[in-house]
Amino acid sequence: MAVHSAGARLYASVKFKHLVKGASGSGGGGRASNIALNLTPFVDMMTILVCFLLMVFSSTGQLLEAQKGLDLPIAQARETLQQAPVIIVTKSEITYQGNLVATVESVLRDDSPTFKIDALFERLDAAAKRIKEDVALGRQPKDLIKACEEAKSNARPAPGKICPDGLAILQADEGTDARLINKIVNTAKAAGFDNLLFAVKNK
Amino acid sequence: MGASIGTGDKKSVNVELNIVPFIDLMSCLTAFLLVTAVWVNIAQINIQPKGKTRDQSQVQEENEHVTLSILVQSDKIWVGLSRVNEFQEIAKKGDDQDWDKLETTLKEHKASAFFADRSDLEIAAESTVAAPVKYQDIIHAMDLAVKVGFIDVGLSDPQGLAARPSL
Repeated sequence: MAVHSAGARLYASVKFKHLVKGASGSGGGGRASNIALNLTPFVDMMTILVCFLLMVFSSTGQLLEAQKGLDLPIAQARETLQQAPVIIVTKSEITYQGNLVATVESVLRDDSPTFKIDALFERLDAAAKRIKEDVALGRQPKDLIKACEEAKSNARPAPGKICPDGLAILQADEGTDARLINKIVNTAKAAGFDNLLFAVKNK
Repeated sequence: MGASIGTGDKKSVNVELNIVPFIDLMSCLTAFLLVTAVWVNIAQINIQPKGKTRDQSQVQEENEHVTLSILVQSDKIWVGLSRVNEFQEIAKKGDDQDWDKLETTLKEHKASAFFADRSDLEIAAESTVAAPVKYQDIIHAMDLAVKVGFIDVGLSDPQGLAARPSL
């Protein structure tokens, strides 16, 4: 195999003098090729970013997901949400646990004398029965079972520890017509959900 | 190891720390925290559906206490007391409702003998096609009620308010 002489090499054939000259680690020697990057600002930035992210870090996780066409109303309330069945009302549709129940337009057009949303009532009714059974059989976390026992004596529950029996979350767009909210609350009440958590954005 | 003397010169006191592992750790931590960060803080307002409903098949409960009722309409807010039948009208201020006046009114009621040791109140919103009321207004009224001390907020149907002004 033929042996060839070495080709062009960086800093030998290609000088890059403009880089080597300005670099602090060059040592001033003609052939020195070490370039020391000043990492101090980078490390400063990383430290500040990590500190900020650690401050906003939430170990409880996010119970609700962002949806298209859904801007939550703003409030000063600071109570944290807890796990419960979620009714979502966007600008165009009503969903329960991610499944489409009805469109906003059809519900607003409906003048039913019961003032209920039937499709939502069916789902909520089934969910209420299932949750009631779970609580009765102790298939919920112990602290929530305890909260259910305390609720019987009308004791005020601790934040995030409300009895899951009859508890649901309403996540509605800020521009939703109040007629729709009234219908949903009425439907939830009829299905046995006596405790509603209205999801809001903090100011 | 982690640190090395800069030059072999006896007089040199420069120490170079090896910050590469530190930067690695910081990069991993930043990436993890950015992915798991919750940017929107969601809170809750706890309410109980209250009052009479339009559904006649449901049990209609009667309350023997004086109840503080708020009725939100598109152009005004009514604050009323049941049994006493006392109503106060809070007209809209510009484009928005007069939330400051509502807060002051609620504070006055909270300080009164009826509600000094009570924290319940009911809110309803009367919305029509011609004069719609937005959900944000209901939340704002509830938020003020909770702020003032009425933490047991009940949402009622406008027809079922304990104190309903005769419009």
